Amino acid sequence: MRTAVIKFPGTTCELDVVKALKQVGAEAEVVKFNSLDPDRYDGVVIPGGFSFGDYLRAGTIAANSEAMKGIREMADQGKLVLGICNGFQILVESGLLKGALLPNLNLRFITKWVRIRVRRKDTPFTKDSKDVLFMPIAHAEGRYYLDDEELASRLSVFQYVDERGMPSPQANPNGSILNIAGVTNEAGNVLGLMPHPERASFPSISPDGSRDGLEILRVFGK
Amino acid sequence: MILTLSKTEMEVVRRVLGREPKEAEWKLVDALWSEHCSYKSSKVFLRSLPSTGPNVIMSVEDWQDAGAVDVGDGLALVLKVESHNHPSAIDPFNGAATGVGGILRDIISKGAKPIALLDMIRVGKLDDKGKWLLKNIISGIGFYGNSVGVPVVGGELSFDETYNDNPLVDVACAGIVSKDSIVPSVVREPGLRLVLAGFTGLDGLGGASFASRKLSGMDEIGAVQIADPFAGKIIIDVTLEIAKEVEAIKDLGGGGLAVAVTEMANGLGAVVNLERVPLRFEYLSPEDIIISETQERMLFAVKPEKVESVCAKFREYNYPCEDIGEITAEPKVRFLYNGEPVAELPSDLLLSPPLNVWPAERKPRKREPEREVALGEALRAVLTHPDLVSKEWAYSQFDYEVGTSTVVKPGQGDSAVVELPNGKYLALKGDANQDLCAEDAYECGKAIVAEAYRNLATVGARGIALVDHLQFGDPRKPHVYQDFIDAVRGISEASKFFSIPVVGGKVSFHNEDKNGNPIKPTPLVVMAGLVEGKLARNRVEEGDLVLIGETRNELAGTLFSRIFGGGGEVAKTRLMEDLIASNLVIKGINEGKITWNKDVSKGGLAGALLPILAKGFSVRISSSQVIGTSNLLGKMFSESGGRFLVLTSDPQWFMYQAGRMGIQALAIGKVTKDGSKLVLDYETFPMDSIVENYYSFLEGSL
Repeated sequence: MRTAVIKFPGTTCELDVVKALKQVGAEAEVVKFNSLDPDRYDGVVIPGGFSFGDYLRAGTIAANSEAMKGIREMADQGKLVLGICNGFQILVESGLLKGALLPNLNLRFITKWVRIRVRRKDTPFTKDSKDVLFMPIAHAEGRYYLDDEELASRLSVFQYVDERGMPSPQANPNGSILNIAGVTNEAGNVLGLMPHPERASFPSISPDGSRDGLEILRVFGK
Repeated sequence: MILTLSKTEMEVVRRVLGREPKEAEWKLVDALWSEHCSYKSSKVFLRSLPSTGPNVIMSVEDWQDAGAVDVGDGLALVLKVESHNHPSAIDPFNGAATGVGGILRDIISKGAKPIALLDMIRVGKLDDKGKWLLKNIISGIGFYGNSVGVPVVGGELSFDETYNDNPLVDVACAGIVSKDSIVPSVVREPGLRLVLAGFTGLDGLGGASFASRKLSGMDEIGAVQIADPFAGKIIIDVTLEIAKEVEAIKDLGGGGLAVAVTEMANGLGAVVNLERVPLRFEYLSPEDIIISETQERMLFAVKPEKVESVCAKFREYNYPCEDIGEITAEPKVRFLYNGEPVAELPSDLLLSPPLNVWPAERKPRKREPEREVALGEALRAVLTHPDLVSKEWAYSQFDYEVGTSTVVKPGQGDSAVVELPNGKYLALKGDANQDLCAEDAYECGKAIVAEAYRNLATVGARGIALVDHLQFGDPRKPHVYQDFIDAVRGISEASKFFSIPVVGGKVSFHNEDKNGNPIKPTPLVVMAGLVEGKLARNRVEEGDLVLIGETRNELAGTLFSRIFGGGGEVAKTRLMEDLIASNLVIKGINEGKITWNKDVSKGGLAGALLPILAKGFSVRISSSQVIGTSNLLGKMFSESGGRFLVLTSDPQWFMYQAGRMGIQALAIGKVTKDGSKLVLDYETFPMDSIVENYYSFLEGSL
């Protein structure tokens, strides 16, 4: 799939995402924020980082930038849109995904390998995925919030779980409601998550040699 | 106007010029002749550091911002270490953050992509002020490193009351560049244009000279720079994009434009038109523009026809970029404002301050009797000391996974390991030892190099380059100066012994508490190495414990003596033992004999056992097998070098191989999975509360 990996000023993970997408055979390239031609791509990934320095609030400035028009257009056409970490924050800020991402409960940045349960397999990203994935998070604002808990539950694709696969409070690194780690839109073609699949795509850097991130990224290789 | 120039130095300036310098000129000389920029009190001795070797591409040649070594496949590793001690004492968040920004710009000024950061932090007691300092230092480092996408992969965190008023914040950075694209920091031909990227503001005025004197206790916040990592990220991305189009790159650090322009001209001259400097505020005086240390600025020497294309790349991001002057053949540095001269001084004068060699004298060593402490009490005190607890509270605030190359992560081993673009594994470690250095700076200088060498061996790597950072009190005090000289001698000797070139370094003097007492001497080295064959991945499981090397009863200058006082012998550094023991460990890793290993250093054998106990395992030790001393406290807490603790299923192999190589290794005990306890001969010490403290201390205190 021809996939655009968007680089805003301040994006830090674009090359990591391209490297991981190449693992699954995707035709991925970095596209600068001001030069996205939506018609040239079938999928788009908004990688992590600190777009525009995350001034005002994480993801806000990028969400209101020109580039988002193209991404919205792609989303409306049913093309695949994936937001990772800061990319998830941008998708939420732009309204492409519902909810908000608030500062972590302990009010600091946190890097940690976590387990997430795949709650929905009816999205193109998770169709053939394993049930539980092992991936790192690295963020200061990842506490997912939506005032309609029922809706949140329905939209949630990933949930932080403990070693037994249970969504326990101890497994929740940031205080998200319902331990939510990632959500989709109603149509299922836009996905945002806080954990970094691209960092769980190479056995040499996973603590246990796994590459669970590819379970989500694989769809871009088709 | 606060100047740090001495009367004699001012006389030299007047004599050479034949006139009284103008205020701007005094500030210019003050910045360039500051200890921070000129190394005037250290240079003579630094020349003894072995800086060459077959793998060295660029070394500590004057005014190169960082050194570089060959790592194969046409790639060079660029390495640099720096501190931001004084700024961090006053504004820990911005002080630490700008320390990260500064070191990153040193790496990109070589055209190299930064791939890993290390942070070595030393603070005092954790009272309200200590907590404020530490919290803000850690979040400042995370704020900058995370925002620019360079992983902080390792470091040190030590607590010692000697740093109550003067914390040490050292950051190191490694970068990768193709060997034939390294960009110099200095020019060799006149006619090049000087191009400045970034806004100049009011912050960091006179920072270099501020860093070159003791903290005054007055309001010095104006000398601290403000960090803007978003601007830093843009300058990193664009500088790397245009690196091949420019002739020289220099970061604007200590001394601002004054130092960057003069050092880049490298004996040639320069004319700078100050009215062209892009300003963050209007009405900045020409004098302030010269010495402002606003971060996130770079100076480029560019062929005239390329100025437009270079600046166009910055303007894509709305980042200011201006042609501010040129390199001239006439060896004078001239700053003009709307054509009016503001400062005009000979390059030669600025670049050659009178060097100092201060009186030196060894402080007499008081011989104190050894302390007798009950073993249980000693174990409890040493193993709950903050220096030995889990540092997860700190490193979890850093994005250590960005770059998808961090193979051995913080907390997983004695060295960090990152994967290079050519597939090789690079190991990195920073080491210092203020306890030993306070007793004997010479042995300590050798010991920190040896410790770094051993730390690299624990992952299967051998050192290829090191950089040093020498942190002391006021060099005009004879005891301080003697320690400085001794430490340089020790580092120099050990690097020579291991054939590891010292490719860069920094010196930070005037680290004192508010009563004028110097900090314990704290030289620090950062070593880089390559994994030769297999990479060791530590995992704790049941098995036999082997102690490689001999344990000397040398308790002075250890964590034990920091806590309990008392004397005894000071550890000597026996480099041959470090080398052989490291060879044995690397061989053991490659032959698959090691499940877990650690070098024996802070906290001695007891300290080395703690990570095993913390995993919920129990350890049985037979003290008679710990050879080299009959003293039980010595066996458990001595930090004498040349030793590793290894977990294996084949202890015989180690004993046999050690004998063949010329050292000793003995099976000292067993690790079993039946709760955290330490059984020493027939006495059992429960470890549950110590393990609980290991995980919760920092989180709970901060």
